[in-house]
Amino acid sequence: MEAGALGNPVLRARRSLTDRIGDPLLRGLSGLAAALAVAAMVGIVYEVIQIASPAISAFGIGFVTTNDWNPVTENFGAAPFLYGTAVTSAIALLLAAPLSIAISIYLTELAPARLRRPVATLVDMLAAIPTVILGLWGILVLGPVMHDTIEPALQSAFGFLPIFSGDPSAFGYLTAALILTIMITPIITSVTREVFETVPSDLKEGAYALGATRWEMVREVVLPYSRAGIVGASILGLGRAIGEAIAVAQVIGGATAINVSLFHTGGTMAAQIASQFQGAPGALQKPSLAYLGLILLVFAVVVNVIARLIVQRGKLKDSDTTLTEAEAL
Amino acid sequence: MTKRLLTVSVALALAVAVAACGSSSSDSSGGSSSSPLVGAGSTLVAPLMSKWQSDYASKSEETVTYGAIGSGGGIDQITSRSVDFGASDAPLTPEQFEEADGVEQIPWALSGTVPAYNVSGAPSDLKLSGEVLASIYLGEITQWDDPAIAKLNSGASLPSTKITPVYRSDGSGDTYAFTNYLSTVSPDFKSKVGTSTTVKFPTGVGAEKNDGVAAAVSQTDGAIGYVGLAYALSNELSMPLVENSAGEFPEPSVKSVEAAADAVKTIGKDNSISLADLPASAKGAYPISTYTYVIVPLESEKAEALKKFISYAISPAGQEFGPDLDFAPLPKQVVAAGKAAIGQIGS
Repeated sequence: MEAGALGNPVLRARRSLTDRIGDPLLRGLSGLAAALAVAAMVGIVYEVIQIASPAISAFGIGFVTTNDWNPVTENFGAAPFLYGTAVTSAIALLLAAPLSIAISIYLTELAPARLRRPVATLVDMLAAIPTVILGLWGILVLGPVMHDTIEPALQSAFGFLPIFSGDPSAFGYLTAALILTIMITPIITSVTREVFETVPSDLKEGAYALGATRWEMVREVVLPYSRAGIVGASILGLGRAIGEAIAVAQVIGGATAINVSLFHTGGTMAAQIASQFQGAPGALQKPSLAYLGLILLVFAVVVNVIARLIVQRGKLKDSDTTLTEAEAL
Repeated sequence: MTKRLLTVSVALALAVAVAACGSSSSDSSGGSSSSPLVGAGSTLVAPLMSKWQSDYASKSEETVTYGAIGSGGGIDQITSRSVDFGASDAPLTPEQFEEADGVEQIPWALSGTVPAYNVSGAPSDLKLSGEVLASIYLGEITQWDDPAIAKLNSGASLPSTKITPVYRSDGSGDTYAFTNYLSTVSPDFKSKVGTSTTVKFPTGVGAEKNDGVAAAVSQTDGAIGYVGLAYALSNELSMPLVENSAGEFPEPSVKSVEAAADAVKTIGKDNSISLADLPASAKGAYPISTYTYVIVPLESEKAEALKKFISYAISPAGQEFGPDLDFAPLPKQVVAAGKAAIGQIGS
């Protein structure tokens, strides 16, 4: 009794002491963590600009439009890689977005309950494949299929389009774009699936009650309700496609000029940096690669901002549609 | 009570961690002779290096650690002095020497770069010349039944398959050796493409690393690429025979690489040696042979350890591991130049 009576106030005092330290400590530590992240970002940008400065002063803004990359004559330009990044990530997004939406609709609305979890897990696991393995698969399996089957088929059907002209090749923009598609599909699927699951069931049931078929329900309720989420998921995937370096470097064929044909070899910004940065000789190659990195950074930020704008507009529209839906009900 | 215990144990753990940090930092600032030599660079020399590491450790009880991160990475790391020595298959350019400030390079292993091809219907001992290889990589010869190839392979039937030249898209000592050779035999190649660890080939497919090139060649009918000699021999790739300046077509091997090295007596001021321009008297010499170099700082805390290790590497005791791994032993004049260069370290 006595010990307890004696111990209690001491304990209480100690507790309040730790409480008093705990709060500012939490604020200090978490603030420090946030500051570290910001400092790292600022530091990286500063460092990249430092390394790039010889190339920036040598080539200026014309770097962006120069269609050449010649380490021997030291004439460098970003155009071939800007083009490659834009083309491969755009194709990957065009293929992966509808595919992911279809997978998500199947998993949330159509699949038998027993199948949903295993299939969803398998799709998620696609994202866990190391990119270098995916790249190797691209060289050994996908490349020959592209060369022997897919590209000749595309050519015989759409050969009049310049993007499907030229000789089929196992390496090139299209092979890289397909590898990127495989890489970003699980990312987009995982987010859109989550979004589809948040569609209120009374809205869905309301649609059914009005006599809608399953397709009509998906088209009129699930997709409009999830529009902002789908766009957000696609942008997440696009960001990944723009930044992917290793697997793309393995299959795109490392050419350093713009080629209209999708069968032709090319290069992307991230792949070029990954494959040539180490030990780049000469006074300008490494600065030029850093300059390329800077452009990649700007490119990624612009894409992100556009995405945010779309999502915000989508959100406004969404609240409109849910309102009208609610009114209709 | 449990909370108090937790606090105490956390405090204790912190104290131990701080003490450990303190003691380890004082360790590394102290006795430098016991800390291992750290090197990084060339993947080509890596198999030989791993033999050296274990043998040297058993003989001298000193350890050497090596990261096979590629020649370019080795140059970067020694330039920033984050390692004790770097290793590169391409000699440093004047700019790289200037940037690395106070380093020297010493040739310490000898090997070759070989073309590898995959052409169904072509003979297994396909003969090519340096000029033909240059024209292929310039995109001027585009089919395997081109008259220039047919002339070198009289009597053999050649398919009309399209030629797909495969090159390294990453910075590589093999690209340096290959383009150095093609630039030597073909003025046209020299003016249009030139010599470097990465160049702009007007045609073909770029692949990453030796295995990327090998995979691209094996997956494409009509492809020709180039890889390290040891890589090609250990993976049993089909290699064409390349004509040397004596007009012969020697098999790519340790022996023919050695013959090439024996024929070149001139050593550059920076210890670089080019084996691309062989005299016509060099019988049996493989035309695309190349040295690989160790790059060491002239001033270093570990100068003595570096001198000892590199002396070992270029000595017969170090070179004897070479032939089993498809490296040729260094010729006498190169060992002599190496010894002189080692004398410069730390003096």
